[in-house]
Amino acid sequence: MVKLSPMNLYQLLPKTNCKECGEQTCMAFAFKLVSRERELVECRPLMEDSKYAQQKKELEELLKPLEDATETGMIIYPERCVGCGNCVVACPVNVSEDPHGCAIGLGPKNDRVILRIVDGKVQAYNVSTCRRFGKNKILCNGCIVTCPTRAIEFAEG
Amino acid sequence: MICTGCACLCDDIELENGKVHNACIKGVALIKKAQNTHFTPVADGRKVDGEKAIDEAITKIQNSENFAIYGLDTVPLRAQQIAIDIAKKTEGYIDDASSLCMGVFVEEILLERIKSTTLEEVRDRADFTLYWGADPFNSHPRHISRFTYYPRGQFRQKGWEEDRYLAVVDIRESYTSKLAKKIIMVENDEEFIQSLIDVANGNTPSAYLRDAVELITRIKKSEFGVMFGGLGLRYGLSDIGLLKNLLDELNNLTEFYFIPMGCHPNMRGFNELLFASVGELNSYSFRDGIRDSTFSFSSLLTKEQIDTILIVGADPVASLPFEIASKIAKANVILLDPCPSYTSKIADVVIPTSVSGIGAGGEMIRIDGKKIKFEAHSLEEITDEYVLKRIEEAI
Repeated sequence: MVKLSPMNLYQLLPKTNCKECGEQTCMAFAFKLVSRERELVECRPLMEDSKYAQQKKELEELLKPLEDATETGMIIYPERCVGCGNCVVACPVNVSEDPHGCAIGLGPKNDRVILRIVDGKVQAYNVSTCRRFGKNKILCNGCIVTCPTRAIEFAEG
Repeated sequence: MICTGCACLCDDIELENGKVHNACIKGVALIKKAQNTHFTPVADGRKVDGEKAIDEAITKIQNSENFAIYGLDTVPLRAQQIAIDIAKKTEGYIDDASSLCMGVFVEEILLERIKSTTLEEVRDRADFTLYWGADPFNSHPRHISRFTYYPRGQFRQKGWEEDRYLAVVDIRESYTSKLAKKIIMVENDEEFIQSLIDVANGNTPSAYLRDAVELITRIKKSEFGVMFGGLGLRYGLSDIGLLKNLLDELNNLTEFYFIPMGCHPNMRGFNELLFASVGELNSYSFRDGIRDSTFSFSSLLTKEQIDTILIVGADPVASLPFEIASKIAKANVILLDPCPSYTSKIADVVIPTSVSGIGAGGEMIRIDGKKIKFEAHSLEEITDEYVLKRIEEAI
């Protein structure tokens, strides 16, 4: 399965650097697609030229998970999650907010945690307290590196 | 509530508005299936009520000459004790899945030949964890996050990045190995054990030099080490003495323990009860008064030595090799189980019973030897304990 990343998006864009979208290069446009500052429809050659029809279809498919992403860009793939709770226990915010629950390997004991397991699948809450939230975000990867099935990904990698 | 989906026996599960919180998908499947499965009692191919099915089971047991009980690893201790009493009264055979998996390790631990510890101690103190021939991410999904690698413990406050080291020894890559800081893929477990012993003694090993040195160096640096042995280690070993030697050597380097990676929630409970009762763990014949590998369930089936089998909470038709499983149908099969299974399709008498932890309360012994108590949440179905008690009283 192709990973949602600026480079993979760039490979499918026209790569003509036509600047019609307002960006200097297609690579810059790809980065802004991932960070959701731009939308695919702003790429006019891709939308209008029939020779890019297949690439357009692939791009739309690749960008689909972004629709369900949280404000921090977190994408959860429930079909890959086994509910092991590695992310819940390893998340630094969960640890500091719930020292007697998540921090010691148990389920959350309050509502301030970011990640919790419901029906065997991870779900995100309180995203505003995530380290990746806002302009001064830290690219924390606690929940990604602890998931061997890649059930959690961030749009920006 | 408690989840009896695997040997972790997670005790932080919550039910709220029909949703299961904190359980992994194994636990959720068990809990939801228990709530949604409607399974009817069967006796000789006819649907009957529960009491009639129990009467039919009693008749079959009373008429049998070579009776065996198998399973019991998913039911509470009281039910297991009654099953042992039934086997004693009928002079039958009794066995559980431990004869095929972790029994060898549990025996060494009960006889205090191998040092073992509890999972809570591992969480609080372990800074070196080794999974050998096990993939807990699949078999015990919350094992790594609850006890071994990711949680903060009393003496391990800095988290997994700084305070803990996870190594995996396996024949192939697994999801667990993806999480580990060190993975060693071995073709021959005994050869690698010997290499570790050699390095621990200051000798040069004949194989796996680099990996063995790295692992021993790491163990020397650690304060509290623990090895979790799975089925890969169990079947990779022809001599348990070799593992014991390794653990003795590692204990000379640091504090080092061993915990088996049993999958069934109360397998150790059965082992301990039978051990307390007759001094043996499994594969026991009350007629002969001895334990022997020829009395293991698979051996008895191979030799077609039994005419009636009481299977409690197990699906041997699915879990045993086909050549052996195909012989189950030749005997009278009485099955006590919460859900339909391959065994229920061939069983002569099927008695649906409640799932432990949901419809049945009691106690279980976790694979590390800790006793876990739990309450029943709904009392809609009959329990294994009730059925076994009825059988015991009748015979």
